Amino acid sequence: MLTIALPKGRLQKPALERFARAGVVPDEEPGISRRLIIPAGSAARFVLLKDGDVPLYVERGAADLGVCGIDQVLESAADLLTPIDFGFGRCRLCLAAPGGKSVTAELGRSLRVATKYPRLSSQWFVRRGVPVDLVHLSGSVELAAVSGLTDAIVDLVESGRTLEENGLVVIDEILQVTARLVVNRASYRLKVEELLPLLEKLG
Amino acid sequence: MQPATPLPGTQDLLFEAASRLRRCEATLCGRFEEKGYAEVIPPAIEAADVFGPEAFRALDRSGRLIALRADFTAQVARIAATRLAGISPLRLYYRGSIVRRVAPDSGPVHERLQAGCELVGAAGPEADAEILALAAASLHALGIRGRISLGSTGYFSALATAAGASERLAAALNDAVDRKDLPTLRTLCEREVAAGKARDAILLLAQPPRPQTEARELLARAETLAPSEDALRALRRVSAALAAARDLGAELEVDLGEVRGLGYYTGIVFNLYAAGSPRPVGGGGRYDTLLGRFGDPRPAVGFSLDLDALVPLAC
Repeated sequence: MLTIALPKGRLQKPALERFARAGVVPDEEPGISRRLIIPAGSAARFVLLKDGDVPLYVERGAADLGVCGIDQVLESAADLLTPIDFGFGRCRLCLAAPGGKSVTAELGRSLRVATKYPRLSSQWFVRRGVPVDLVHLSGSVELAAVSGLTDAIVDLVESGRTLEENGLVVIDEILQVTARLVVNRASYRLKVEELLPLLEKLG
Repeated sequence: MQPATPLPGTQDLLFEAASRLRRCEATLCGRFEEKGYAEVIPPAIEAADVFGPEAFRALDRSGRLIALRADFTAQVARIAATRLAGISPLRLYYRGSIVRRVAPDSGPVHERLQAGCELVGAAGPEADAEILALAAASLHALGIRGRISLGSTGYFSALATAAGASERLAAALNDAVDRKDLPTLRTLCEREVAAGKARDAILLLAQPPRPQTEARELLARAETLAPSEDALRALRRVSAALAAARDLGAELEVDLGEVRGLGYYTGIVFNLYAAGSPRPVGGGGRYDTLLGRFGDPRPAVGFSLDLDALVPLAC
C-alpha cells in the first residue's frame, strides 16, 4: 500500500491527471466530501494536505511519496528524493519591489524584505553579501512592499499580473519552480517493487 | 527561567522505554563480542578538530576549541591510531550517544543513541564483507528484517575527477545523485560536463537500485563505462565485497548512487533500511585515510546503528 501526499491547491488537478494516466485514480473526487484520506483502489491512497506540508509528511514517512513545488522542497530543507520533474505548476520565485525604488547598497541600511520563503531568501541574499531584515509573512506578501512595511518582497510570480496591478516590478529571479515528485528515502528502498513501476509510468 | 522539558532534539527515556533500549544494547553487544569485537568507551568531549563542522563546539577556559562527541568512528580512529597504533587487525565496538548539529550551518542540535563496530587494519574485500555481515546480523539479532543498500563514494569521487569537475560542480552532482534527481543531474551534465564516458557513467548513478541478483549486470555495465583506473578499481571493489558477502541474512541491493555517508568515507558505503523507520536505521563504509589524520595511516571499515530508530522496531 502506497500513501500519496496530494497538495490541495493549484497543483492538485494536474497532479491527479498524472496519477490517473499512471493508473492510480482516487475512489472519490477530492473535495466532494470532507474526507482527508481517499483510497485509490487497494494499492494506494491519497492524503490531502496544504502543499507546504507535503515535504514534512513524506520526510517523516506518513506518506511514501507526494507532489509539491521544488520551492517547498527547498524551503522545508526536508531530506527527500526528487526523482521526477512534472513540469506543471511552473512559476518563478522572484525578488520584486515598487517600480523606481532603490533596493541596492545605496540604501545605507539593511534591505527590508517580506516573504513566505525565509530560508531560500536568506540563502540568496547571504550568497550575494546583501544584508537583509527578513519579515516572515503567511500571505498577501505584495502588500508588505506596497504599504511600506518592507522595501521589497520575495514571492512566487506566475503571470506577473498581481505584481503589475500593485505597481511592483521583478528585480531578480531566485528560483525556477515546477512541481516535483518527492519520495521518502526509506520507502524508495523498502517498497521498491511497488514504487518503481509507478515511477516509470509517472516519469 | 528553568526549562521544564528536555531541549528539542533530546529526550528522557523512562521505565519501559529505558529497559527496551538496554535490552537492545545488550543483544547487540553480545553479538559484537561473539564476533570478536571489544568495547571501547571514548569520552563525551574531545578536541574539536577530531570531528567535522557538524559538532557542537565551545571554548574551554584556555581558549581551546572543544566539542561534544559528534561521531564515534572518529574517536575510535583516534584511539586506534594512538594507543593501539600498529596492532592489526583491531575489532572494536562502542555504544552511547552523539550530539550533532541538524545542519552544519544552523543552530539546533540533536542527540542520537548509537552502537557500532570498527574493523581497523584490514584492507581487503573480506573485511568489507565482515562488516556488512555483522551489520546484517545485528538487525537480525533484534528481530528486524532490513535491507542494505550498497554503493561506493570512491566510485563517485573517481567519476567526478575523471569529469574534471570543480569542487562546486562535484558537490552539486553529488546532491543530485543523492536525491535521485535525474532531471537536475541531466541539466548539470549537459551544461557543465564534457560528453564522454565519465558523463554517461554519472548519469547512470541516478538509476534505481538493483537487487543483489541483478547487481552483476549493473556493475558490468558500469565497468564498460569506467572512465579511469580509479573508477574501475572502485567498481571491482564493490563486486568483490558483494561476492564475499553472500548469505548475509538480509536483502542487499547495489545502488551506485548511494553516495550518502560521512565525509571521510573512501570506498564502499552502505545504508541500512527497515520497515517502520522513515530514515536509514544505520550505515557504514570504508575510511582508509581517517587514521592517517591521527598519525597512523591504516585502512579501516565500520558501521553504526541508529538505536533511536531501531529500538521501537525491535521485538
